[in-house]
Amino acid sequence: MHEMSVALEVCRIAEERLGREALPSLRAVGLEVGDDAGIELSSLSFCLETLLGVPPFAGATPLIERRAGDVLRVSYLEIDDGRPDD
Amino acid sequence: MAVRTIEVRERVMARNDELAAGVRTRLARAGVPAFNLISSPGAGKTALLERTLADLGRTLRLAVVTGDVQTQNDADRLARHTDRLVQAVVTNGACHLDALQVSTALDAVDLDATDLLFIENVGNLVCPASWDLGEDEKIALLSVTEGEDKPVKYPKAFRQASVLVLTKLDLIPYVPFSVERAVRYALAVNPDLQVLFTSTILPEGLEEWYGFLRARLRRRRAA
Repeated sequence: MHEMSVALEVCRIAEERLGREALPSLRAVGLEVGDDAGIELSSLSFCLETLLGVPPFAGATPLIERRAGDVLRVSYLEIDDGRPDD
Repeated sequence: MAVRTIEVRERVMARNDELAAGVRTRLARAGVPAFNLISSPGAGKTALLERTLADLGRTLRLAVVTGDVQTQNDADRLARHTDRLVQAVVTNGACHLDALQVSTALDAVDLDATDLLFIENVGNLVCPASWDLGEDEKIALLSVTEGEDKPVKYPKAFRQASVLVLTKLDLIPYVPFSVERAVRYALAVNPDLQVLFTSTILPEGLEEWYGFLRARLRRRRAA
């Protein structure tokens, strides 16, 4: 199923942006998925939860927003930067 | 703990599309039209290519990259009809070919000694539609042993294709398949679709297909 390929690519993008050592601090991955992107949302969500739940990740949550059209992109990453709250 | 948000806004397919653009550039430089064949399993992609290699392989230099989840059976079948290398990609579970696999497979193909490239995708009407392989055109196949409504069930594959090849027309007397209805469904999804009617069994059953290939080759050579 290609949702797993897409989920693996999302993880690669996160690693490319953050560096491997920072991946345990990843808390959420924001995604935009278009209605015509050819993606089964529940399947993508399941694949991401599975991949983001095991090392080098430490339980990040996929936050998927539906969009019109065929957009498919990682919109943001949320990380815990280890500093106390302001 | 402070949570910081990092804006990314990166297309998930960006890396694949970058590799696909690289494949497209290599093919264009060599003047090789490339076709990505997409269909359900069993629609007749390999049979169409077997006949094509056998009939045109003496006059045209045809290259094939073929993808399967497991086995090299399709590549082995095709290799019986050509002296050229048939590149087999075993995806090991993945439901589609991606641009990296095609780019790697092409490393072993002498593109300067190639007239046409066929990429036989994994049999699947869903996932291959989402992956650009660097081809010039996607070609969707639909056999008369399937439902006529496949185009409306899997619209993305038929919307992305420029050509629909109806296959196994020799079986029409034995199956409840309405060609008219299938074409109507296909054109409803993609009004620009060129429809070709084929049979690998009937005499002259591939003349429209061969005519299409020759026309594309002429167009590329004239460019």
